[in-house]
Amino acid sequence: MDWNAFLAFTRGPLFYASLLIFIAGMVYRLVQVAMLGWDKDQSVARGSKAGGVVKSFLKGILILPFIPWIKGAFQKRPIMYIAGGLFHLGLFTVIFLGTPHMLVWKSLLGFGWPTLALPFVDWLAVAAIIGMLVLIVYRRTDAVLRLLSGPAEYLNWLFVFLPMISGYIMTHHLFFRYEVAYSLHMLSVDWMLIWIPFSRISHFMFYFFSRTIRGVEWGKRAVTP
Amino acid sequence: MAEKSVYEHLKSEGVSRREFLKACGVLVGAMGMNKLPPVADSNLPPHLARGAKVIYQVAEALENKPRVPVIWLEFQDCAGCSEALTRSQSPTLVDLVLKQISIEYHETLTAAAGHQTEANKQAIMEQYRGQYLLVVEGSIPLGADGAYCTVGGRSAEDILREAADGAAAIIATGNCAAFGGLPMANPNPTDAKGVMDILTDKTVVNIPGCPAIPEATTGTIAHFLVFGTLPELDDLNRPKTFYGVTVHDRCLRRPFYEAGKFAKSFDDEGAKKGWCLYKLGCKGPTTYNACASIKWDGGTSFPIQSGHPCLGCSEPGFWDGGGFYQGQSAPLQRPAIGAVGAATAVGVVVGAGMAAANKAQKKG
Ligand code: HEM
Ligand code: SF4
Repeated sequence: MDWNAFLAFTRGPLFYASLLIFIAGMVYRLVQVAMLGWDKDQSVARGSKAGGVVKSFLKGILILPFIPWIKGAFQKRPIMYIAGGLFHLGLFTVIFLGTPHMLVWKSLLGFGWPTLALPFVDWLAVAAIIGMLVLIVYRRTDAVLRLLSGPAEYLNWLFVFLPMISGYIMTHHLFFRYEVAYSLHMLSVDWMLIWIPFSRISHFMFYFFSRTIRGVEWGKRAVTP
Repeated sequence: MAEKSVYEHLKSEGVSRREFLKACGVLVGAMGMNKLPPVADSNLPPHLARGAKVIYQVAEALENKPRVPVIWLEFQDCAGCSEALTRSQSPTLVDLVLKQISIEYHETLTAAAGHQTEANKQAIMEQYRGQYLLVVEGSIPLGADGAYCTVGGRSAEDILREAADGAAAIIATGNCAAFGGLPMANPNPTDAKGVMDILTDKTVVNIPGCPAIPEATTGTIAHFLVFGTLPELDDLNRPKTFYGVTVHDRCLRRPFYEAGKFAKSFDDEGAKKGWCLYKLGCKGPTTYNACASIKWDGGTSFPIQSGHPCLGCSEPGFWDGGGFYQGQSAPLQRPAIGAVGAATAVGVVVGAGMAAANKAQKKG
């Protein structure tokens, strides 16, 4: 099999199609949520709604990652907190501050930015991968979580894990020839793009909505009908 | 053509026995043959027995074998591979092989012209049927019934099939002959093909590159001369000795890649310091070729060493593999605004439709 040709397919037409499906899918989700409607605000606000939104985001950005004990997020489920945190930290570093990924953004957006040295990105990739492994073991062993998990949860995990592990394998030239590993990386990324809009992974977009709406409600300090 | 052995021929050219053996050593190295299994009946330690034995085996073969006639066909090419070969700066190896083979037909090199040359080619192909080596340079156009490339009124495909029929071995030199190269690049107006896509029932050894590395061509020819067989090939029919590892694997800038130090333009600090060219579009990681180890001009340098990213010229379809100066990881196509708009519109319409349907259901 000519893997370079397959790579050209996964980097070219397949990626193109996946990206468009991703965009269409996310817009579809967004419109559906937006059309749920916004209940009329019938109570008088006693605080600043905007201030609430700012606080809500500050809480998300500062308190939860850096001083979690304030809210007890850490004490309740320390393993999940640390593993989940490492995963997200690693993921963001890899896809925004890794050189090859910045080049993807650059080609799509038209501008680039400085990136981190490969060894640094690499360590965070390892952290993210270990984080993911811990999370899945935890999900299988914790009785409550196990009951809450259906096939969708495991598939979500798998479809994010595949790009991570194939990217790592590729960077380290493990097991496969480079273009084979690269094809597998792209294949898993393409599939993930198609999968995201129709799964809970789309939380990365709704996260911002829910934080905003909750912020508005906190800030208002009024009775919510 | 006189049936002199290679060694006799070289002797008459003033090559001493010592020089001859040295050249055999170079050949052995070039063919990567020091990896042959050690010889059991030798008293030498294995690592010595191995190398020495192969050199003598090569010497013996060259001493006794007649020179091999070569028919060199050029189709949709630029003669760059021939140029690279004849102007190669590594005297021993290329000289040795060029002296050993007798090139009987080569449009660029032959002094004679016209029907005389064609008649000579026919005669050679008759006389050495089943013995000559066929080297092809350039792609073969199938469009317009082959009218895009003809020699002496015959189509490239026709000439190729005829010559291939009586050849002992077929070598496609350069990306054009191997994989279609530049003529085949999108939109491929002449419907160009590489040799192996036409001679589907024969083994074609591919020495792709733009141009092919002369030592890879001569090393492969040398293997055929010495052993009468073709070297071990990869799945694209390239000799593993020369195409076994990527340019990236042997690249002198690799430590900078590992350290994440990249040149960002052709004249920035990083470029001056010799940092990795990945961000400038280097295709080294997916390109199998020996540029980084054999190098060019007798081992002087190669593109990446002199500051230019690898274009991936030994891989199929490299002309259509995204921009030469665009990072390897960048997607091949960037969705146009129109396409993004259309995708967004689809999302809006379907989303709104579904929401409306849900509402209607709730009410009903
Ligand atoms: C169009 C999308 C993408 C492209 C073109 C791409 C391409 C690449 C490339 C070229 C490498 C580096 C290989 C090397 O250094 O030799 C890489 C590494 C990696 N990629 Fe991607 N990638 C994409 C998306 C993703 C996504 C969405 C994820 C995660 C979910 C991901 C996770 C990784 C990881 C973990 C590494 C290894 C980093 C390291 O160990 O340093 N990639 N990718
Ligand atoms: S210059 Fe190219 S081949 Fe060399 S290390 Fe960088 S990416 Fe690899």
